[in-house]
Amino acid sequence: MGTSDAETVVSLDGVRKEYDLGGTVTALDGVTLDFEPGSYSAVMGPSGSGKSTLLNLVGALDTPTDGDVVVAGRNIPTLSESERVALRGTRIGFIFQTFNLMPRLTAEENVALPLLFAEWERSRRRERARSLLDDVGLGDRIDHLPQELSGGQRQRVAIARALASDPDLILADEPTGNVDTETGEGIMRLLEDANDRGNAIILVTHERRIAEHADRIIHITDGVVEGIESIEQTTPEPLQ
Amino acid sequence: MKFRDGIGIAWRSLTGHRLRSALTTVGIVIGIATVIIFASFGTSVQTDIVGEFEDTAASEIIIVTGDVGLDPSSGGDGGPPPSADELGNIALPGITVHDLDQLSQIDGVRSVIPRGSIDASSVSYQNETRPQSVIATTPAALPEENFVSGGPFEQGDSGEIVLSETAANEFEGDVGVNDTVVIDYGNSKENFTVVGIISQARGGLNVFGSFSAEVYVPTDPYYREYGNTVESPSQGVEQAAYRQVTVVAEPNQVSETRDRIERYFEEESDAGQVVEEGVTVQSTAAIVDGIESVLNDVIQLVSGIGILALLVGAFGIANIMLVSVTERTKEIGIMKANGAHNREVMGLFLAESTLLGLAGAVVGIPVGLIVGFGAAAYAEVGFTVPFGWIAVATAMGITTGIVAGLYPAWRAARVDPIDALRYE
Ligand SMILES: Nc1ncnc2c1ncn2[C@@H]1O[C@H](COP(=O)(O)OP(=O)(O)O)[C@@H](O)[C@H]1O
Ligand SMILES: [Mg+2]
Repeated sequence: MGTSDAETVVSLDGVRKEYDLGGTVTALDGVTLDFEPGSYSAVMGPSGSGKSTLLNLVGALDTPTDGDVVVAGRNIPTLSESERVALRGTRIGFIFQTFNLMPRLTAEENVALPLLFAEWERSRRRERARSLLDDVGLGDRIDHLPQELSGGQRQRVAIARALASDPDLILADEPTGNVDTETGEGIMRLLEDANDRGNAIILVTHERRIAEHADRIIHITDGVVEGIESIEQTTPEPLQ
Repeated sequence: MKFRDGIGIAWRSLTGHRLRSALTTVGIVIGIATVIIFASFGTSVQTDIVGEFEDTAASEIIIVTGDVGLDPSSGGDGGPPPSADELGNIALPGITVHDLDQLSQIDGVRSVIPRGSIDASSVSYQNETRPQSVIATTPAALPEENFVSGGPFEQGDSGEIVLSETAANEFEGDVGVNDTVVIDYGNSKENFTVVGIISQARGGLNVFGSFSAEVYVPTDPYYREYGNTVESPSQGVEQAAYRQVTVVAEPNQVSETRDRIERYFEEESDAGQVVEEGVTVQSTAAIVDGIESVLNDVIQLVSGIGILALLVGAFGIANIMLVSVTERTKEIGIMKANGAHNREVMGLFLAESTLLGLAGAVVGIPVGLIVGFGAAAYAEVGFTVPFGWIAVATAMGITTGIVAGLYPAWRAARVDPIDALRYE
């Protein structure tokens, strides 16, 4: 039943994920979901409910115990390791709570990392990375190492990196979890910009305030989808 | 990932831990330097000895009476070649004047140099007397180019004598050409006129060149009078007989000539009948070969020690690379999330360990060359750069790096990105 319509960028069908550590932990239990191209979804749920597990499966970092995970028309459990690598290198951008930048590479090199593995020429990589860093407001920090940047700046580098290969899908796992509220708002604005340009986004968070930036919120508890809530995005009113 | 980019990233990781990387290569540096030191020193010694023999003695064939091992690599007791004194004790004089005539007629023989000692107890110059053995030989033993001053004597009762430079220097007064020295035969004395001082005569046993104090007189008449004689079985008359003869062969047919000489002594010679054990025929080339092969063994043995050091170095690299894989688990996860294939991760870590091995070679080779150069200078042999060994050492460094990095790189490639990204 692999639903690989052009209508969806991601579709999960009866996805189960179990971890085997002595006893069996069921992290996801029969999840069926569709995500449309250019859509913006938030996944909300308490800690340990299976949000990151869901994201890792969609990101082709892991394979389900059971069920289908179809991303950009390709069913992940049927792909080889190498095909999964290619998929995440070109179709998916990741943003993590802990930024996950390469500590010895500069901001520019970090942004260009997916392009390095996609075998782009050095000069093209550089050009693309600089323009993305400009877009996230770090045009003057291109040669800085991650340790020389604030948490918010690091997350903006990570967002630029996630956008580098112009992926169909951006997966953000608690992107505001390690920054203060104000910085978090800046990050959410960057994600919105990306979504406005057509990138589908799946955002994981346990904060409702953050989740409300999305068009819908998928509520998940103990590995089961409890409900899907549509958010009415009011066009921002001019400041009074 | 492009190859050049990969090398760039690997290089960045190594220079990010300068001290650690430097310490890791120490084992490789020591191993490579050891190999190069002994290879360069050994090659230099070899080149020096072989060069010397190519000039002078490579075409000499030494014949001594008795069954003597002259070849250091195959000598019966494995010891060094016998000294002239030892030889005097064990070998009977048996190579007759008739044998010398026959030898000179063998194909490929250029000249025949007999060498015999004369019953003389001392040599005096002015009022200084030194105990000194006197050697009877022919002008062929005294090549013009070896003379420090003067020249060779002529055969015959001319009263001419040649001194080795060492012998001349042993006298307090400066013995020079045209000076008179006196040989004491025990019951009589005879005056000789010095006609030449020579640095080194041919026909000695010592393949490294005889620099000992020696004085030389013509065989005819002095050996006939004061040397050994036997009855020549073929001629039926009493003839001068030698323990040692050196044949200078045509340079391009040394071994054939040697075979012909051996055959002569086996089949029809006087010496073969007079001396029970016969004679030993040995070309100096073979002796040089023997020395060369001993030196080769030494180089190989020491290189083996160097390889042991390399092995230690390899474990050092492997160890640090494993530590590095653990430390960088998260980085590996990041790379994989951003599209790095397993083989690319493996390639990055292999590139690092290979660069470490290469760095060991790049530092170790000049260190080895400098120490080898010093050793060669100390041993007073000309320095020869062992290009072959430099190539071998570079290859060894790179190979060590690759081999040491294989397992850590494989571990890195197998890192699970999920675990890696959860890793704090
Ligand atoms: N790699 C793993 N190995 C074992 N158990 C895991 C692993 N990842 C997650 N889990 C377990 O699966 C469940 C869901 O975890 P996770 O998806 O990280 O939740 P969330 O992101 O919602 O906090 C938890 O019980 C967690 O302990
Ligand atoms: Mg999580």
